[in-house]
Amino acid sequence: MQGRRNFLKLSAGAAIGSLAATLPGTVQAKSCGEINWDESADVIVVGSGFAGLSAAVNAKRQGLGSVLVLEKMQVIGGNSAINGGWLAIPKNPIQLAQGVNDDSPEELVKDQIISGRGMQNEPALRQIANRSLDAYDLCIDTGVKFRDGFNIQVGGHNKARAIRTQHGTGGDITTKLYEAGVKEGVDHRLQHYIEDFIMDGQQIIGVKVRKNYRFPDLKTGTTIFIKANKAVVLANGGFARNMALREAVDPSLDPTLDCTNAMGATGEVTLTAMAYGALPVHMNLIQTGHWGSPDEGGFGWSNALLSIGWHQGVAISVLNGKRFMDERADRKTCSEAIMKNRNADGSPAYPVVFFNYNNYAKDDRVVRALRDEMAWKVDSLDEIAAKFDIPAAELKRSIKEYNKHVGERKDPLFNRKMDTAEELTGPFVVSRIWPKVHYCMGGLKTDLGARVIDGRSMAPIKNLYAIGEVTGGIHGEARLSSTSCLECLVMGIIVSETIKADLEGAV
Amino acid sequence: MNKLLLSALLGLALSSNVMAGELVKMKGKTEGRVNHEFIYQDGCQTCHQGSGKKNTTDAACVECHGDINSIPVDESKLAIPEAHPHKSLHYNQGASCLACHAEHEKKAPVCTECHRTWFEEM
Ligand SMILES: Cc1cc2nc3c(=O)[nH]c(=O)nc-3n(C[C@H](O)[C@H](O)[C@H](O)COP(=O)(O)OP(=O)(O)OC[C@H]3O[C@@H](n4cnc5c(N)ncnc54)[C@H](O)[C@@H]3O)c2cc1C
Repeated sequence: MQGRRNFLKLSAGAAIGSLAATLPGTVQAKSCGEINWDESADVIVVGSGFAGLSAAVNAKRQGLGSVLVLEKMQVIGGNSAINGGWLAIPKNPIQLAQGVNDDSPEELVKDQIISGRGMQNEPALRQIANRSLDAYDLCIDTGVKFRDGFNIQVGGHNKARAIRTQHGTGGDITTKLYEAGVKEGVDHRLQHYIEDFIMDGQQIIGVKVRKNYRFPDLKTGTTIFIKANKAVVLANGGFARNMALREAVDPSLDPTLDCTNAMGATGEVTLTAMAYGALPVHMNLIQTGHWGSPDEGGFGWSNALLSIGWHQGVAISVLNGKRFMDERADRKTCSEAIMKNRNADGSPAYPVVFFNYNNYAKDDRVVRALRDEMAWKVDSLDEIAAKFDIPAAELKRSIKEYNKHVGERKDPLFNRKMDTAEELTGPFVVSRIWPKVHYCMGGLKTDLGARVIDGRSMAPIKNLYAIGEVTGGIHGEARLSSTSCLECLVMGIIVSETIKADLEGAV
Repeated sequence: MNKLLLSALLGLALSSNVMAGELVKMKGKTEGRVNHEFIYQDGCQTCHQGSGKKNTTDAACVECHGDINSIPVDESKLAIPEAHPHKSLHYNQGASCLACHAEHEKKAPVCTECHRTWFEEM
């Protein structure tokens, strides 16, 4: 017991990130005597999203022994469970049945190089693309259902290769991977918060865990130590919900920006790994969407609704009733313009976007948005002005002027392409907008086998692996849509193979 | 726990307008659910094994109520059929009771993190 107390002190110091305590050669565990492990597992997986659940099932299938998945939240699945269910698979059967025969893993990599803008890790992307049918098979054999005959070309891809789960959510995949894991003997635990790593020099030998933890209160639960006989796989996702960290690495991401992510995407495990020497890369590359609505949580319907709003409608500042941007400009341009709308105290003055109701009354995007009260049907400009506290005369003047520009198919104010713009006559569908933070391209540097790289030696930290959004440097400047799900599922397969190979190499 | 008593209690809870039971003062400043009154009379051990300071787990809920599949939900009250909280498309079996239910305070279910208008605090 005495030994453990001493050890606890040291471990707390290390968690704060004192480099001195983690220098190579420091044998923390041994220098403090025996640790009283509460339990042990051959493979410990941190996090239960696509990456963690895929790694767990595949570790079982590789015969790596007992597998324990630790999840801090009260639900399984993280971002993966709430995700949109889009999965890019070159040469998937639906694509082939559609007669798209000229796609290949290399074609996908080509698209990813363009969106990565030179910062991507080509060999990693190629390895993932080459194994994409393995990810598809994993889904099918665990019982995931995809939409019949559905395979489309999504933004940034040069081929129709994105399939989608039956209900349009990643939950269709996580629930099946979870059930397969339960059946095959994976031990999943909710409310287990990874607080710290237990290192033996440059090797991880276990984790310090807060059991029965209640997010987000770090005083809840009790501390236990779990020994990892063979490997610790970090699959703890991104850090888009960590406001301080977000702002530290990209000061333009001010805290008024909400986030599409699950609440648990706070990155503390990533920081712990860094404190033990793991090399962070591209931490400041964070994807935001300028299509968020403050009137719904998560990703929501706003993005879909705005695909009408940006094209057929207008964005208006509530402060002065005027248009303020080219509604069809790129993400960055629009985000910056939207975020300039502030009240005197700096708080967001959410702009409104609106378009004619009648032409879209039956459109799914409108029906859902009105149903869930993140957009409203409003009959007249006067009513819009009253509801959203916009100067009415100015609003009417702006719309009159806009309608004239629609007629002329020219936008002298912002040079917007007006080919799809409609004269606004009402009644209207109105929603409010503010950008949301969406995906972290950056994270821990790993090698192709998912081994976490120590920045001081540029060599792998022994027995420590990382996969999924927690890793960095793979996608470069911007991740292409539908590719994270693919990456996570594939890397879950690859990491299990690496662990096996490393164990065999060690014998 | 007596099965008959349990179904009587569940029946009561469901027929009132609050599913998990009305929140009322139970012991001192502690609030609790009317249908759990007998637990408070017994001391709080049923949920907090050993000590009131120890966090409860799902085991205590499941012991009386059965697992998530056996607990009825009034489907006529759902915003849309897919909003069935005990058959969630996102979590299904992978959710703790505590993700949505609390004994001592009103709590919004985890689904409201995104679907803000679908569920009320209970
Ligand atoms: C709303 C939304 C829609 C998206 N749509 C798509 C899409 O359609 N297609 C696509 O390819 N990508 C999409 N993405 C991106 C993609 O879903 C994510 O990048 C991916 O799910 C990340 O998976 P992961 O397994 O790495 O992490 P996650 O799924 O986030 O899982 C990480 C888990 O680790 C847990 N964890 C964190 N810290 C700790 C700790 N200290 N102790 C224990 N557990 C911890 C978290 O609670 C979480 O459950 C979307 C993302 C969002 C947010």
